[in-house]
Amino acid sequence: MAVCVAIIGKDNAPKFFACANPEEELNFQYKVLSSLDIVEEKLNPTVKTSTADLRELYLGMLYSLETHKIYGYVTNTKIKIIIIVDSTNTSLRDNEIKSMFKKIHSEYADVVCNPFYIPGEPITSKSFAMNIKSIMLQA
Amino acid sequence: MQANTIQSNSDFPPELCVKPLAPVGISGLDVINNAIHKSVWEIFSNNRRNEHSPVLFKLIANDHEFPIIKPKRNSYDWYIPKGILKRNWMHKHLYEIPAVMVIFYDLDWSDLQWNEKMIECASRVQSMRAALEGRATRIVVVLIQTTLPLPAGEDTLAAERAVALCASCELNSQSLFVLPHGDHLQGYATRLENAFYEFAQTYYHNEAKTVKSHKEHLNKNSHQYLYVRHQFKLGFLNELKQDIHTAYKHYNHAYENLLEIRIVDTNSLEIRTIAGFINYKICRLLFLLNLARDAISTFKSHIDRFRSRIGFQELAFEHYAWLSKQYAVFGDTFDEAVKLGLPAVQTQHPGIYYQQAAQQAILRKKACKELCSTVIAYPSPDPLEGVSSMEFYGQRPWRPGKVTSEPPDPHLEARGIQAVQYLEKQVNHSNIIIQLYGLAISQYKTYKCPRTRRHLVLEMADECYDSKDYGKALTLYTHMLWDFRKEKWWGISSQVLEKALICAFLTANVQDYIQLALEILGVNTTTSLDDKRRIYENLKKILKKQIPYGHPKLQQDVLQNAIIIWQPAFTANPLHFSLDMANITACIETRARFLKNVYEVDQNVTVEIYIRSTCPFPLSFAKISVTINAPNCNSEFAVTNVDNIALSFHKDEVKKFIIEFMPDPHDINKEIQIDSINIQLGNSTECSVDLRYSSYDESSKNHPELLHFKRSHNGIDFDNVRPLSTATIVPRESKLNISFDHRWPALVGEWYQIVINIINEELFGIRDLKIEVALDEESSETELSLQPTSACKQPLLVNSPKNLDFNGKVSTHFFVRVHKACKCHVTVRVTYTLDSQKAVLSIKTGVIPLTVVEPFEVSTKYLSMLMSEIDRFYVDEEFGVMNYIRFCSPWTICVEDTLLEFNALQVPPGKSAENSIASQIAGRSFNGEEISAELHIATCQKSTDQGSNLGKYSIKWKRENGISTTTEIAIQGLPCYFMPIGLKLSAPAHGFVRTPMLLRYHVQNRSQHLIQLDVVMQATEAFMFSGYKQFVVSILPNSTRTLQYNLYPLIAGSVALPELIMSCNADNDSLGINKDQLNALIHRSLPTHIYVMPQVKGDPKLPDIVANQKIAVTS
Repeated sequence: MAVCVAIIGKDNAPKFFACANPEEELNFQYKVLSSLDIVEEKLNPTVKTSTADLRELYLGMLYSLETHKIYGYVTNTKIKIIIIVDSTNTSLRDNEIKSMFKKIHSEYADVVCNPFYIPGEPITSKSFAMNIKSIMLQA
Repeated sequence: MQANTIQSNSDFPPELCVKPLAPVGISGLDVINNAIHKSVWEIFSNNRRNEHSPVLFKLIANDHEFPIIKPKRNSYDWYIPKGILKRNWMHKHLYEIPAVMVIFYDLDWSDLQWNEKMIECASRVQSMRAALEGRATRIVVVLIQTTLPLPAGEDTLAAERAVALCASCELNSQSLFVLPHGDHLQGYATRLENAFYEFAQTYYHNEAKTVKSHKEHLNKNSHQYLYVRHQFKLGFLNELKQDIHTAYKHYNHAYENLLEIRIVDTNSLEIRTIAGFINYKICRLLFLLNLARDAISTFKSHIDRFRSRIGFQELAFEHYAWLSKQYAVFGDTFDEAVKLGLPAVQTQHPGIYYQQAAQQAILRKKACKELCSTVIAYPSPDPLEGVSSMEFYGQRPWRPGKVTSEPPDPHLEARGIQAVQYLEKQVNHSNIIIQLYGLAISQYKTYKCPRTRRHLVLEMADECYDSKDYGKALTLYTHMLWDFRKEKWWGISSQVLEKALICAFLTANVQDYIQLALEILGVNTTTSLDDKRRIYENLKKILKKQIPYGHPKLQQDVLQNAIIIWQPAFTANPLHFSLDMANITACIETRARFLKNVYEVDQNVTVEIYIRSTCPFPLSFAKISVTINAPNCNSEFAVTNVDNIALSFHKDEVKKFIIEFMPDPHDINKEIQIDSINIQLGNSTECSVDLRYSSYDESSKNHPELLHFKRSHNGIDFDNVRPLSTATIVPRESKLNISFDHRWPALVGEWYQIVINIINEELFGIRDLKIEVALDEESSETELSLQPTSACKQPLLVNSPKNLDFNGKVSTHFFVRVHKACKCHVTVRVTYTLDSQKAVLSIKTGVIPLTVVEPFEVSTKYLSMLMSEIDRFYVDEEFGVMNYIRFCSPWTICVEDTLLEFNALQVPPGKSAENSIASQIAGRSFNGEEISAELHIATCQKSTDQGSNLGKYSIKWKRENGISTTTEIAIQGLPCYFMPIGLKLSAPAHGFVRTPMLLRYHVQNRSQHLIQLDVVMQATEAFMFSGYKQFVVSILPNSTRTLQYNLYPLIAGSVALPELIMSCNADNDSLGINKDQLNALIHRSLPTHIYVMPQVKGDPKLPDIVANQKIAVTS
């Protein structure tokens, strides 16, 4: 299972933040912020890596810390999704992480489709939070 | 001092970190007294040279004592090593035992006292050899010579004496060098240095062999330490030899051997220390070998291996200090490699290791706090005595050289631990941590991790706070706030705000306290309502000049100190602060806007101010005002006519205020701007705070257009107030009636009159009337004037009376002249002041569209004297210039005069062939589409291949009742050729049947040669004639010959004249006249026909010319 999921807007402002342990939320916020540096650099068009596939939204592992692993995903509208996983958790391989991102992406798409949601504002939908929690626990 | 020694457990000794260079001893140089020696020494010791060999020169005095050599051991059977690595060994080999010993001696080959000096030199060598007894150090002699050497093999004396010297010094010939002290000292020195370096490499190679040879005597049971020691030595010696590959191999072996040793409490410090040393060497060499990845992975596995081996629980801080040092040193090594050109990346750079080092340092600090708090005194006797003179690295001073099997003395052990703990307590951990963070922060900045960097800065600030440096912590916190605010990480920014607020409280920084408090009270922060209430109460206290309450979690003594420094903060009376709220998302938000983009100068400008308070508690203000930036002056307008209730706000309340003011007439056509909105908190007698909000910038919003969907709680939709921060002041609308009177289209070149009629339809009289005329695009083609004579500068100020009464009329005019056909616009600008109570400047602008057309077109044709068109001129032959004027304007044009002026300066100079020149069309009027023609006779006097400007044709014309204008047109000529022969016929205008008439052919020779022509007059039926029918004409140069013929016409009508045929005599070839040219000349010069009238009835009157010759007329 993932310990933290964050959705970050294109202006790098947090839209949604979910933690397995809410007391550690601030700590995870710092971790997510740090990983945004890497995401920004990867999205920087001046730094072109030959392997970069424009259609690939999954950015792979951003950081491998002693305690956690951080994965990133960027939608075409530059919405960043970050997943933090415990380092000890070896059951999650790239494929599982990828499918988690896909699920979260489609959940996010549903939220944006909601006419009562104003794009750019933080997501406060309760059902969205529930769905994300269940995705976090499933994997 | 003691604090320093304790740190040396984790610090690296300098001899380990220095780049190993082979030491080369130099003796025999008297650097102080001898200038030559001094220069030689400087050349060698100056290692800034580029191709410097990796050797270290060291001056050694003659009486120097080298370290005593240890007795050789033949067997290791009974030897039990007391430690792994001796403290003095590296230093000894780096600085004390030279690999090469160089003895300098002043001696020329041709020296007079050769024998004596040779003996002295030999004795020096001997004494040095004695001093180095037992060492394999290579001894080398360098002779400093003042004479330049001869090429090898030529100087037999030198060769002989060199052999002799080598023999007496017992040196082989390769160990003798000569250093001529002359121009190329540098080059010689470099070569010598390379030679020394080679010797040094051989020396270390042999040393390494010796160490290696010990290996067979060792056994794995009792000599584990020696395995490590020997491999380390081999590595170090190879490093001195600059063979880093081999050195790396040996260090690696040393590390592996070290890991085989069983770690117990007593040796854990030593093993950890040595492991750190060896790993440092390995990583450094790997970076040098350009194997950065291997270096990183080696380091990681090294750390993983030792991370959990804490050793003594009581001294756990030592372990963290060691870990921290390992990270920091690796960071340094990495950074050094980067500086030498290793490319680092965002995810792998030195900053990561500095950060880890800082984190380990924090753990060290925590461990220290836990373990050392009880230690109050340093134990006596000092258990750490002799710490600086220990034989091995990484051993405890209270049990040096103890073998692991011996059980430690528990009492001594306890005192030792107490001493170490006491010293650890003295260490300023925060300084170390802050320094490491500083290094990490600068690295993260380099590798484009702004957010990680910010996080580190916050951690640094936490550490500053921890070390009671509240001021610095406050600065760091407030600097970081901006970025979190910008990216809307409210959770983090709230936490930072709370910390910063505590710092502001502890430093009694009133201004920052108020600003931070206002921000915390905003809607975005995640601070709890209770905390907000406390902060709100504190803010109110400050506004009443009372000391706020500190954070409840603060310790009593800290609070006490803070209260002491708060007192002087309130001494000033009244207290006044000004806060810039531009970049802050505080609990009070403002918007201001103009209602219109454009205000007329006599209208009131209206500014709407919206203020929203998101503070959960009521706030009230003393004053609300807005500053307007105008080009002339900045002014502040306060909200008036409001009571106190209107200025107090409840949660989420939005209020609108309106400010109106008259614009300054000086700002006409300029932009005015809302500069800032100012809100005053508190009262001005005690403590007042000015909040300055700059005009709202919408670009920071993500989707401003979507804010419409946001639900607003009460009447005013604050989020959707679109700001309009600039407006333009324009002049008032004029009620002047302006009309223009003119007869268009205008004609090119004429002074075209335009009449301006102004009727004052304002309610008041006007004064300072000014009429300006300007063309939209200024060019030399267009001119404006008041008089139809000369042009004036633009814009033209038209004459007019200064004042105009109500309903008054004024009429004035100006002229415009355009030099090409086009369409243009003339702008008339009437400026005046209204003569009312308030003098208002008004402007009225009128535009006159102007079409300009050509009045006529002129075309020119050239005719021969026979009125046929020609395509070339001949020198001195007359021709006709026919100027046609085609009138194409709608206006009737009266031609006053025309004049064809020949351009005497141009080639060919044309000239008129008429006696008096008069215009043939002067005084006539022409309507549109009429054409006039005028013929003038001219000649050309020089030949030219191109037709060039012949002259100009001036036409002086005017419209009916208009002003006369002169148009000049350049006339383009034709090419002009030279014809040596001119031909002209003088004949009467007409003849009569049977009445004789006289024809004269004038043949002119224009050349400098005699011309002879064969002339034939052909017979014709219409005439009888007398004269030469066929003969040769000779014409002298520059003269004219006249041929006369009497013709007797027989037929009436237009009759062909008898044809004159001329042909060139063969003698005239030199003139280059061919038959065709002659024929052409005849064709263009002579008429072919003549009119013959029927016979006159009665007595005909003979033409004069015939009558004079008394020719009888027969009927």
